[in-house]
Amino acid sequence: MGEPVNTEVIKERLDAAKSARMKMWLELCAHCGLCAESCFFYLAHDKDPTYMPSYKVIKTLGEMYKKKGKVSREFLEETLDIAWGKCTVCRRCSQFCPFGIDMALMISTARGICNTQGVVPEGLQKAVANYWAEGNQMAMTKEDWLETCTWMESETGEEIAGLKIPMDKEGANIMYTVNAREPMYYPQDIGMAATIFHIAGEDWTMSSEGWDDTNLAMFAGDTKCMTHVVKQTYDAAIRLKAKNIAITE
Amino acid sequence: MELFAKYLREGRIKIDPEKRIKERVTYQDPCNLSRSGDLAEYGREIISYLADDFVEMQPNREHNHCCGGGGGFIPMGPPFKRRRMESGKVKAEQIRATGATLVISPCHNCFDQIRDLSKEYDLGVKVKQFKELITETMIIPEEFQPKEEADE
Repeated sequence: MGEPVNTEVIKERLDAAKSARMKMWLELCAHCGLCAESCFFYLAHDKDPTYMPSYKVIKTLGEMYKKKGKVSREFLEETLDIAWGKCTVCRRCSQFCPFGIDMALMISTARGICNTQGVVPEGLQKAVANYWAEGNQMAMTKEDWLETCTWMESETGEEIAGLKIPMDKEGANIMYTVNAREPMYYPQDIGMAATIFHIAGEDWTMSSEGWDDTNLAMFAGDTKCMTHVVKQTYDAAIRLKAKNIAITE
Repeated sequence: MELFAKYLREGRIKIDPEKRIKERVTYQDPCNLSRSGDLAEYGREIISYLADDFVEMQPNREHNHCCGGGGGFIPMGPPFKRRRMESGKVKAEQIRATGATLVISPCHNCFDQIRDLSKEYDLGVKVKQFKELITETMIIPEEFQPKEEADE
């Protein structure tokens, strides 16, 4: 709190995001209000106009552009409250905008700019640190991950004859990836997926690295970490010469 | 999810007709799948193999509402929990209107959010993913039955 804002960095980000589409979107909104009723935040708050998607964009990214990046920390805190606390970037509003303005992308851009100044909800910041530390949002160690898979293999194997959870097998048709919440809180999910793959006769594997298919870094607006997360998975698939990557439910 | 639909379509996984789900079910379209991923129909296809009484939420598919837990809302934790429950009102009403007692959602975020909403709005619904429902209802061919049982 109270740290100065690096408006140069914000300006750079705003310029980089100012594509032809972005310029058009910033100009085009006719304030017709058709996006309002598409938003569940607006509907759940008795049609309070401050929950309208267009309003939320104008108050955050719109203001940033208007002020050419010269915004205060207080402003960024207010942006956090709107961009994370009043929008889930679900993209429903874009479907109702007659001009096709992608308001969710604009909110995501605002999130990314907040992120450059360390203005990010704590829970997401923690997830980003976890991705850097262990490659997954829960900071589960490689050892724990492999142990969980072995445990699920032996437990599920008691019910399904011949069941294996093949780790790091090369050349498989499917490299299966999971949500890190599964090995952490719902390990039986891995057993269920293994059961289905096994009985369907699938040629599959899981990787000891790059196995978390969530990307909370994307929701945190952290482009560097979000790229890192995706790259880990693709690197694993290339290393294992997998033909396809499948992601969990 | 595409794979599960394919396994069922190709008969690589078969559902036991006796075990088909009898209670009323509805389907929560995850934004990343049904809106951004164009996978809405696969969900319906899988359900057609699993359940007898399926009722759509209104609206549905790419026009369905977000569960209210997406975009990082759930991992944002306790400071945002109250808001998450308040804005989830729309989803709670959508679910209640279907009369379903089981909500299927192939997304961990939706899963956690709907479970929380069920408590908050007293919806009395369970939430399950396809993996769980498929393994509960599928036929385990004899060669996959555990050895001990086969010996008995």
